[in-house]
Amino acid sequence: MVNDSRLKVVIVGGGTAGWMTAAALVKLLPARCHVHLVESEAIGIVGVGEATLPHIRAFNEKLGIDEADFMAATRATFKLGIEFRGWGRLGDSYIHPFGTFGSGQGELDFHHYWNRARLEGQDVGALGDFSMAVTMAYMNRFTLPDADPARIESTFNYAYQFDATSYAPYLRRIAEQLGAKRTEGRIIDVELDGESGDVRAVILENQERIEGDLFVDCSGFFSLIIGKTLGEPFEDWTQWLPCDRAVAMPCRTRTALSPYTSAIAMPAGWRWRIPLQHRTGNGYVYSSQFTSDEDAASALVAAVEGEPIADPRVLKFKAGRRTRSWVRNCVAVGLSSGFLEPLESTSIYLIQAAITGLVELFPEREISPLDRDEFNRLIDLEYDRIRDFLILHYHATERDDTRFWDYVRTMPVPDSLKEKMELFRRRGRIVKYREGVFLDASWIAVYIGQGILPQSYDMRAGLVHEASLTDAMKSLRTRIRTAAEAMPEHREHIDHYCPMPDAA
Amino acid sequence: MTDLSIGTVAIVGGGLTAWSAAAAIRRRLPSIDVVIVPAPVSRGALADRIISTTPSIRGFHHDIGLTDADTVTGAASGIRIATLFEGWAASRPSYVHAYGAYGAPVGGIAFHQLWLREGHSGSLPPFDHFSPAAELARSGVSPDSGSDSIQFGLQLTLERYSALIRDYALHLGVRLHRGSFADVTLRSSDGFVDKLICEGGGDVSADLFVDCTGPDALLHSRSDPAFVDWSPWLLCDRVVFHNGPPDPTIVSMDQVTAVPFGWAWAASSQKVSSHGLSYSSNHARAEDIDSRIGGSAAEMIALRQGRRRDFWVRNCVAIGDASVSVEPLEWTNLHLVHSQIDRMIDMMPGRDCAPVELAEFNRQCAAEADRIRDFICMHYVCSRRSESFWTDAAAVTPPDSLAHTLALFAERGRLPFYEEETFSKDSWLAVLLGQGFEPQHINPLTDAISSDEAMRALTGAAFTSPPASANQNSLNPRGIR
Repeated sequence: MVNDSRLKVVIVGGGTAGWMTAAALVKLLPARCHVHLVESEAIGIVGVGEATLPHIRAFNEKLGIDEADFMAATRATFKLGIEFRGWGRLGDSYIHPFGTFGSGQGELDFHHYWNRARLEGQDVGALGDFSMAVTMAYMNRFTLPDADPARIESTFNYAYQFDATSYAPYLRRIAEQLGAKRTEGRIIDVELDGESGDVRAVILENQERIEGDLFVDCSGFFSLIIGKTLGEPFEDWTQWLPCDRAVAMPCRTRTALSPYTSAIAMPAGWRWRIPLQHRTGNGYVYSSQFTSDEDAASALVAAVEGEPIADPRVLKFKAGRRTRSWVRNCVAVGLSSGFLEPLESTSIYLIQAAITGLVELFPEREISPLDRDEFNRLIDLEYDRIRDFLILHYHATERDDTRFWDYVRTMPVPDSLKEKMELFRRRGRIVKYREGVFLDASWIAVYIGQGILPQSYDMRAGLVHEASLTDAMKSLRTRIRTAAEAMPEHREHIDHYCPMPDAA
Repeated sequence: MTDLSIGTVAIVGGGLTAWSAAAAIRRRLPSIDVVIVPAPVSRGALADRIISTTPSIRGFHHDIGLTDADTVTGAASGIRIATLFEGWAASRPSYVHAYGAYGAPVGGIAFHQLWLREGHSGSLPPFDHFSPAAELARSGVSPDSGSDSIQFGLQLTLERYSALIRDYALHLGVRLHRGSFADVTLRSSDGFVDKLICEGGGDVSADLFVDCTGPDALLHSRSDPAFVDWSPWLLCDRVVFHNGPPDPTIVSMDQVTAVPFGWAWAASSQKVSSHGLSYSSNHARAEDIDSRIGGSAAEMIALRQGRRRDFWVRNCVAIGDASVSVEPLEWTNLHLVHSQIDRMIDMMPGRDCAPVELAEFNRQCAAEADRIRDFICMHYVCSRRSESFWTDAAAVTPPDSLAHTLALFAERGRLPFYEEETFSKDSWLAVLLGQGFEPQHINPLTDAISSDEAMRALTGAAFTSPPASANQNSLNPRGIR
C-alpha cells in the first residue's frame, strides 16, 4: 500500500452502533483508516431503536443507500411522529409530529393563535388538527413531502420504523464490500499500554490479539472498554428517569399499518408499539422500584394486540451517560456511552451524532486533546437536551393514580427544565435553540398534548379580528384534511414503493 | 389571562435608536400606545451616529413596512456590500469582508477546506476572490438596490435617514411628549419604574420604559447599574470622527485601515462621507491623532466598551448603546439596536414583566452581544503588526468562547456553532483567512474530493462565478424574514 499512515480502527461489537460506525468510516474516510470489527454471534445484540428520527435519512444518504431498497430489506414502515396515550391524564392522547403546526409561513408560531381562540372560548379542536403530519398519521396516509415550501404538503418530515436486527446486517454488507474486516470471536481481555495507559489491543478467546490505534467501543451495555477497562464514571439519571427495565415481545401485525409509533402510558412506565411490515414491536418500559418483572410481563401480554411471535424478554438498563464518551484512544458509540429510554426514539440518533463527531474530528496520527474535548462537548449537549425533553413527558402530568405516576409528577426536576416549563405556561414561549435534536414544534406538541396550556399568548396573535381568526383556522384545518385525503393509504404506498421480500 | 397586556410604552431618548424602537413597536404591536420622552442622548450613542450598517437593516425595514425606495432613494443612502481591510496583517495583501458565500461547498465539503488543502501549492488566489460580492466590491461596481443576489447594507445620510424614521413613526401614531426627561422615580415596593419626571410638561407613566439614551443609560442605570467591562479584551477607548463631502469612490466598499494605535475608517453615502478613528488612548499621543484626522470638525468620544449585565430589568429595557457599548468595527452598533428591538417585540411580556420571561430575553441579548465582542476581538487577536498597540491587542487572553473558537479553527478549520451568533461562518472565514490565520489540519471528510475535482471547482469558482443566490444567513436573520 502506498498509504501506510492509515489509522487502525478496531470496533468492538457488531450491533447497530458497531456496523453504523464501520460503514461510515470505510465509506467516508477510506484514506485514513483500516476498519476492523470484532463481534461475537454468541453475545447477541440489543437491537435498539426500531423507531427512528428523520435524521437517519441523512445518514443513509451519505452512505449512498437507496431508500426503497433499505426499507424493503428492513421491513420498514414510514413514521410521521409518536402518539402518546394517557400521559397527561388517563384517556388523553396526542401525537408529537415530525413537522410544524400551521402552515409554517407566518411571523408567529401558530400555537399562539390556537391558544388565543381557546382562551376566548372558541371550539378550536385539538392542536394536532392543524398539523399535516398529525392529520396524515391519524388517517393512516403517507406520501413523500412536497418540495414547494408554499404548499401545506411540505410541512411534514418523516423517519422509519424498521427491524433493527436487520439494519446491522444491511450495513455490514456495505461495510465489508468497502473493505471493513470482520473477526468473529469473544473478547476476553483488553491490553493497555503500560506507559501511556492507552488501549493497545483486544485479546480474543482463541488468544488472537488485535491491535489498534483507535478503539470504538460498541459493546452496548457491557461497556467493555470505556466502562469496564478504563473505568470512566457513569452519571446516573435515575432520579429523573426512573425506568430501568423493559420487557419486549413482538407480535403479528393485524391492524392497519399506522405511520407512527405509539407510546402508551402503563401503571409503572409506558409501552411501545411499533408497526413494521411483517410484525409489530411491543415492549413495556418500567421502573423496578414500582413493579416486578412478572407483573410487567403479564401486563404486556395482556395489552398487546395480535398473536405473539416470541416470549417476553427482559432488558435491564440505567438512564444516564458516561462523564466522557471519548477517553484516551477509545470512543464510545451507542449504549456503551449512555442510555436514554426509547421514548422519543433517540438511540440511533445518538449513535449517529457520535459517528458524525468522530468522522469530523478523526485524529491525525496523534489524538489531539482538543478534538477529544470538542467531541465530548458535542455529545454532552445532545444528551443533556434530550434528557430534559424526556423528563418533561413524565413530569407534565396530572396523574396520581399509581405510585409511579405520582412520583414523577412530584419529583424535583432540573432547573433548566423548570424554567422552560414556566416560560411556556405563562405565554406559550419556547426557549429557542437553532441546534439540538428537538426544536420548537416538538416542545409545543408535548406541552400542549400533556396539558401545559399557556395562560396567555403573544400579543401579535391578538391583532387579528376574532371572526377572521375563526375563518382562517377553519380553512387551514380543511386545507390540511383535504390534502391528507388525496394521499394514498400508508400500506398502499409501501406496497408500491418498498414492499418487503416475501416473508421466509 | 393572569396578567394584563402592556398597553403603554414610554421611550426615553430622541435619536435614531429611540425613533426606530418607537416605529417598530407601533407598527408591529399596534395596540400599544407609544410616547417618546425627549432626553439628552449622549454623544457616545454610536448607533445613532455611525453611517455604515449591515444587511440586517433591510430586514428591519421590511418588518416595519419600509421599502428600499423609501430608505435608499428617499433617504439618499449608499449601498455597501463589503469592507476592505488594509494593513491588519502586515506583509499580507488587503482583504475584503463581504456578505454571503465564499465559494460553494463541493460534495458537502466546506469550500474553505478545499481551498486550504489545494492552496498549499501556492497556486490559488486569495480566499476573498471566491466571494462574488467581494469581487464586485473590488471592481468598484455598485449593485443597484433591486439586486437580490448580493446582500448589502446601507451607508446612511444620517440626517435624512433619521428624519425618515421619525416622520414614519409619527405617521404610525407615535406621540412626542411636550416635556423632556429630567428624572425618574422608582416604586419603593418593587423597584419598578413608577414615572418619568419631566421638565416643561407633565410627568409620564407607562407599563414599560425603554431606555434609548446611549451609554449613560439615564434610566436603566438607575434600575440596575451592573456593567460588564470588555476593556481587558478590546483596547480601543476613543473614537474620533468627522463628516465631509461624499466620496463616490468608496460608496459600495468602505475602508478599514490599521494605523499604529488603532484603525481608521472611510465611508460614504450619496451625500456625506465619514472619516474616523478608533484607538487606544494609552497607545496614541494627541499629535498622532491630530495628524491623522486634523481639523476642528472632528469630534472625540470616550468609549467604555462593555455591556449591561441584564438588558431588561423589571419594567425597564435598555436598547442600543444604553445596553452595549462597542467600537464600530464591523458596524454592529445599529444592527444591535434592530436585533434588540426585534427580540423585545418577539418576547413582549405582560405588565408584570415576569422574571422568567425577561430571563430569556436577557439570555439571548447577552449571548448575541458577547459573540459580537468575540468577532471583533478576533480581528485583533489574529492581527500581525509590530507596534505596541497591536502586540498588546493581539496578546490579550481571549474570552473563553473566542479561545474555544480559535483553538478549534487552528486545529482543523472547524468553526463551532454558538447560539445567537450574528456573523456567519463565511464572515469568520473572510477575516481569519484574510489575516492569514490558517489551521494546522483540515477536515478529514475532505478526502472524499479528489484533487482534480477540487481544482476544477476552485478554478471555476474564482472570478467567473455568478453571484450566489440571496443568502439571508450571512447575518443573523433576526429581523430578516
